[in-house]
Amino acid sequence: MTTATVQSDVDIFSEETMRDPYAIYASLRDTGPAVYLSRYDVYAVARYAEARHVLGNWEDFSSADIALNEQFNGYVGEGILRADPPLHDHLRGVLASRLAPRAIRALRHDIDERAANLVDSLLDRATFDGVTDLAQAFPVQIVGDLIGLPAKGREPLLELIDANFNCFGPLNDRTMASFPKLQKLAEYVAASASRDALSEGSMGQAVYDAVDAGHVPEEAAPWLVMTYVTAGMDTTVHALGHLLWLLGTHPDQWAVLRDDSSLVPSAVREVLRYESPVQLFGRTVRSGWSIDGLDLPAGSRLAVLYGSANRDERKWENPDRFDVTRDNIEHLAFGYGLHGCGGQALATLEGEALLRALLARVERFSVGEPVRHFNNVLRGLESLPVTVVRG
Amino acid sequence: MRPDSGRLSVDAARCEGHGMCEQLAPALVHLDDDGELIVDVPDVAPSEMAQAHAAVRACPVAALSLDEKAQTPARTGGLPNR
Repeated sequence: MTTATVQSDVDIFSEETMRDPYAIYASLRDTGPAVYLSRYDVYAVARYAEARHVLGNWEDFSSADIALNEQFNGYVGEGILRADPPLHDHLRGVLASRLAPRAIRALRHDIDERAANLVDSLLDRATFDGVTDLAQAFPVQIVGDLIGLPAKGREPLLELIDANFNCFGPLNDRTMASFPKLQKLAEYVAASASRDALSEGSMGQAVYDAVDAGHVPEEAAPWLVMTYVTAGMDTTVHALGHLLWLLGTHPDQWAVLRDDSSLVPSAVREVLRYESPVQLFGRTVRSGWSIDGLDLPAGSRLAVLYGSANRDERKWENPDRFDVTRDNIEHLAFGYGLHGCGGQALATLEGEALLRALLARVERFSVGEPVRHFNNVLRGLESLPVTVVRG
Repeated sequence: MRPDSGRLSVDAARCEGHGMCEQLAPALVHLDDDGELIVDVPDVAPSEMAQAHAAVRACPVAALSLDEKAQTPARTGGLPNR
C-alpha cells in the first residue's frame, strides 16, 4: 500500500509565523503525526506523543542532524549534541554531577541572593525593561560565574550565542547572516574559556580536569565548554522574559502565586510549557519509522516542534490557557531523554529564585507592548516595558 | 488485556537525580542522601501501577523504566496474553 505523504508549504521560520506560531502549529498537529514541510525537506513532528517518542528513543532517532542544515552539523562535529553513546555519555559525564539537582541545590542561597539584589536594584526605578535590565542580566552573571568566564568581556555573548542558535535552522537569511559570527564566538571561547582564563574551581576548569584525567580528548574541551556557555544563557533569558510577560498579562495568576508561593515551581514550568524558549531541534530516522500509516524511510529528517508539543490539545486540557496550577511536569521544553537539557536544574533554580524575589517585593505589575525577538530556534522577547507597584 | 503489574528499574548511569519520580511515587522510589535514586519497590503491584507510570513519564532523562508484565492467563489452557 502506498501512503500519500501529508505535506505543507507553511514557512515556520517566517517572521509572520513566529509572531504567533500557535495556529500554524495546531494545523500541523491536525494534519498528521509527521508533516512534510516542502520548503525545507523536513518532517515536522508537531504532536506531543510523537515528539516525546522521538526525543526519548535515541536508538531509533539520531541527533546527528540536530541542525536543519549540513554546514552547521559539520561545524558541531562530534560535539555532545550530535553524539551517541558511548561518546555522548563520556562528554555528558564531565559536568553531569555538577549540574545535577543534588549539586545545584547547594547554589540556591547564592542564587536567591543574586535575584534579591537584582530585583531590589530595579525597584528603585518606577519602570524598567524586563528583558534588557532583568532577564538578560541574571543568567549571564550566574552561568558566566559558574563556568568561570572572566567578568570582563561577556558583553557580546548574548548576541553571538543568538547567532549560534540561528545556525540550527535551515539555510535561510538568518542562518547565513549568523555564520560569520560563529568565528567571533570561537575567538571568545579561545580567549576566555581556555585553561588559563577560567577561574579556579569552576565548571569550565572541571572540563580541563577531565582532560587531565583522560576522560575527554584535549581538543574536545573548548567545544564542550562552549556548548554549556551557549546552552545556558539566551535560553534562560527568554524564559525569564516570558515569565515577566505572562505574569504581567495574567494578573489573576500573579494573585494566585502571591497567595501560595508553593506554586512557584509549577509556575516556572508553565512558563516553559506555554512559551518554550527552544522551539525545535532536528532528528533523523535511523532505519524507518511507521506512524499512522505513514512510512518514513531511513534518513528522513525531522523537526521536533517542542513549542507545538507543549500546546497539543491531545495532551493538555485547554492548552492555550496559561495556568500556574496545572499539572505540567511532563512538558518538553527541556527536551527529553538522552539529550534532555543538561542544565535544567540550574535554569529552573534561576527562574524560581527570580520569581520568589519578585513575589516577595511586588504587589502587582503591568507590562507594556513587548518587542518580539526572531531566531530560527529560540522564542523570546527583545524588550518589555515593566511598571511595578511595590508591597 | 492490560498488563497490571510491572518491574521498575533505574539506569543509574542516566539518572541525574532530578527527583521528579520521587515526587510522584514516594512509595516506590527515593533519592538517598547522596542524591542516588533507590528503587524501594521494584515489583510494582497493580494498585501502584498508576504511580509507577507517572514516575516513569516524569523522568526528564528517561532513566526510569517500567517493564510491564501481562497477568498470568486466567483461563486454563488459554493462549498466553500478548
